[in-house]
Amino acid sequence: MEALEEKLVKEEIVTRGPVDFWRQGVIRLLLFFLFLGLVTFGVDQTLSYGLRRITTSRFGAINAWMSGNVNTQVIINGSSRALVHYDPRIISRETGLSAYNLGANGVQIDVQAGILDAYLARNQAPKIIIQNLEAFSFEATKSGEIYDPGIYMPHLDSPELYRALLAIDHDVWKWRHIPLYGYAVADMRFTWARGIAGLFGIQGRQDYFDGFNPRFKDWSQDFENFRKGASSGVEYKVESKGREALVRCLELARTKGALMILVYSPEYVEMQHLEKNRGEIFLHFRELAEKYGAEFWDYSDSPLCSNRDFFYNSQHLNARGAELFSEDVARRLRRFLESRKVATAPNVSQGSTGSE
Amino acid sequence: MLFNSLEFALFFPVVCALYFLVPRKLKTPLLLVASCGFYMAFIPAYILILFTTILVDYFAGIWIENSAGPRKKRLLWISIAATCLILFVFKYFYFFTDTFAMISSEAGLPVWEPAIRIILPIGLSFHTFQSLSYVIEVYRGEQKAERDFITYATYVMFFPQLVAGPIERPQNLLQQFHQVHRFDHDRVVSGLRRMAWGFFKKLVVADRLALYVNDVYGMPHQHNGLQLTIATVFFAYQIYCDFSGYSDIAIGTARVLGFKLMENFDRPYQSSSISEFWRRWHISLSTWFRDYVYFPLGGSKVAKPKWVRNILITFGVSGLWHGAAWTYVAWGLLNGIYLVFGGLTKGIRDRCLGQLGLEHTTFLRRFLMWLTTFILINITWILFRAANFSEAWYIFTHLFSNWDISAIETQNFRLLYFVPAIMAIGLLEVLQAGETRRRIVRAIVAMPTYLRWPAYASIVCFVILFGVYQSAQFIYFQF
Repeated sequence: MEALEEKLVKEEIVTRGPVDFWRQGVIRLLLFFLFLGLVTFGVDQTLSYGLRRITTSRFGAINAWMSGNVNTQVIINGSSRALVHYDPRIISRETGLSAYNLGANGVQIDVQAGILDAYLARNQAPKIIIQNLEAFSFEATKSGEIYDPGIYMPHLDSPELYRALLAIDHDVWKWRHIPLYGYAVADMRFTWARGIAGLFGIQGRQDYFDGFNPRFKDWSQDFENFRKGASSGVEYKVESKGREALVRCLELARTKGALMILVYSPEYVEMQHLEKNRGEIFLHFRELAEKYGAEFWDYSDSPLCSNRDFFYNSQHLNARGAELFSEDVARRLRRFLESRKVATAPNVSQGSTGSE
Repeated sequence: MLFNSLEFALFFPVVCALYFLVPRKLKTPLLLVASCGFYMAFIPAYILILFTTILVDYFAGIWIENSAGPRKKRLLWISIAATCLILFVFKYFYFFTDTFAMISSEAGLPVWEPAIRIILPIGLSFHTFQSLSYVIEVYRGEQKAERDFITYATYVMFFPQLVAGPIERPQNLLQQFHQVHRFDHDRVVSGLRRMAWGFFKKLVVADRLALYVNDVYGMPHQHNGLQLTIATVFFAYQIYCDFSGYSDIAIGTARVLGFKLMENFDRPYQSSSISEFWRRWHISLSTWFRDYVYFPLGGSKVAKPKWVRNILITFGVSGLWHGAAWTYVAWGLLNGIYLVFGGLTKGIRDRCLGQLGLEHTTFLRRFLMWLTTFILINITWILFRAANFSEAWYIFTHLFSNWDISAIETQNFRLLYFVPAIMAIGLLEVLQAGETRRRIVRAIVAMPTYLRWPAYASIVCFVILFGVYQSAQFIYFQF
């Protein structure tokens, strides 16, 4: 085997002629690595460009607001619970205000703050920001655990988003500055393949509607499985980083002159009973709402919470539940706006991410 | 420091540049410093253990060379005992004390068990064996004792093969530190190509398959027979690509610097017998055990019962070398039993197959022998990978039960991941078949620069994009 390798090396010398000077060899090698660097950089940029061309799915949603094409009067911010609970189309219909959902899967409050910051830097300030809450709203993302990093790769040039992610994980500089590192090392979902598809105009299925991603699912075994492992209940941390991130959201709203509404959207009732420090967490929510002049709407007592038909797991409403909740929250918002006499513009819905 | 890390991507070019720039007398000291840095990137303090081994065997080598008769032999055994003591303390102490405690407790005599666990220094078994081969070869007169401490220390610590081999012999490696290695563009490029091949095996094949294997073998009771079977076959490829990938990177790295390391793997899964498999798998270790354990015991030139004993001792010790657990010993013994059975029944099998018209040269016979070998080796890997005997037995007895094709995903391995995983195995086999890889390399080398560079760049981008970077550590580091 080794002999074959040597033969190969000799053949190579015969084929291309001997290298006379080692300097020439070094220069050639350096030039090759420079070429390789340029190629990887080019591929990285091309993949990002392809991803930015996507107009459907979660990529389409982030592309829409990152390119400053949303500019709605109401925005909804939060994790997957926000993503699957609030239908902006219903909110627009009920209130006459254009609306958009910024919710994203697997994002903790610190990433949510970064998303809100990046949104506000690129779009007109909304009149109302609905910040969805959950029992683990004060838990920050752990280093190395940023969920679905591929989604952020084409948008790391946004200083707001980059800063937020870098504060969580110091390796994020590598995502941005080392070609292909983000797509290959940080991302496990072949996001780069979506980038190639996007480059050729191949769009995935549209399942995001003004940022809302309805889940047409029935109740699963997830909660039963979870309860087996946590029969004595769960306690969520109130981390200073998490609290600071929520404060950052509140401050951003205040800076932009937007009214912040903190909403604890429906959570399955049996799960609520398992949360041991729920009272303490809600005290923090109320205290922050009061301090920053925000509204706090708690849907823990909503009739939806006790009916499994409206959920697919303890945290997430299914499409049917989301429709009912969106109607409920939209009506409440309309009544609230009427009482506050907040001016509502006529239908100015802009920047839908795709056809419905 | 891992080969597949950003740190190594910075470390290696710097070391290479310095190595080719510094005067000759500084080249070996530079390699020693670089090797220390490479090793200390894991757990810095453990370099002291390595230096203890180096000191013991450096002086032992000189004393053995200067001695004769029983004193020479005594010095050899003292050196072997001292080197093995370090290995015993760090690798086997808790294995033996745990076993002793378990037996005592079974006998109704509970004994105290040490509460502190020592972390195994990375690659300890590899450099211990490399040190042992040095003193044994000096004792045998096959190698002159190295008088220059820096050179000897660099021989043991040479960073390309420091933590996972190949386990070099002094006759091959030690004398290379006395040669001058100048920059040779073609040799450097050849070394980089070999490294790329190793990275393909490690990142694209091994680490992709590891996602599935870790899920299934982590909780075998929660997976069905089909998943267990797939995971077992995947593990066969994972361990091969992980370990041979490391060897390829090591060989390539050394070649860039001008050193020639021994080959460690030769397409082992193309073997059509267990003995052939062991001639192709982890060659540097197999030959080490052959030369320093099997042959001194008498090898095959003894009566049949002694030969059986020799095989079982060699493979039992080989199993123990791989890990301080009885499952590894059983894995080694099972391989030994295969060899013994194969050796004892060869005549009968040849006659039976001949009567069936299956001569040595027939395709069907070769295929059946290859398939049987592959299956038998896969069975041994169950013992190697399972956490304990009970899980190994569970996996073995459930391989063919409940094949639910609709449930082959695991928690971290989605259905989609089977596409790159199976493509990677397919590509590996295609490239390994015959001389395919070399033909491709020849074709690329013959290309003009404007085609050759894009071809190399495409290969690099392919490996980067299809690679997995989650289970970064190489399996054999633990040994």
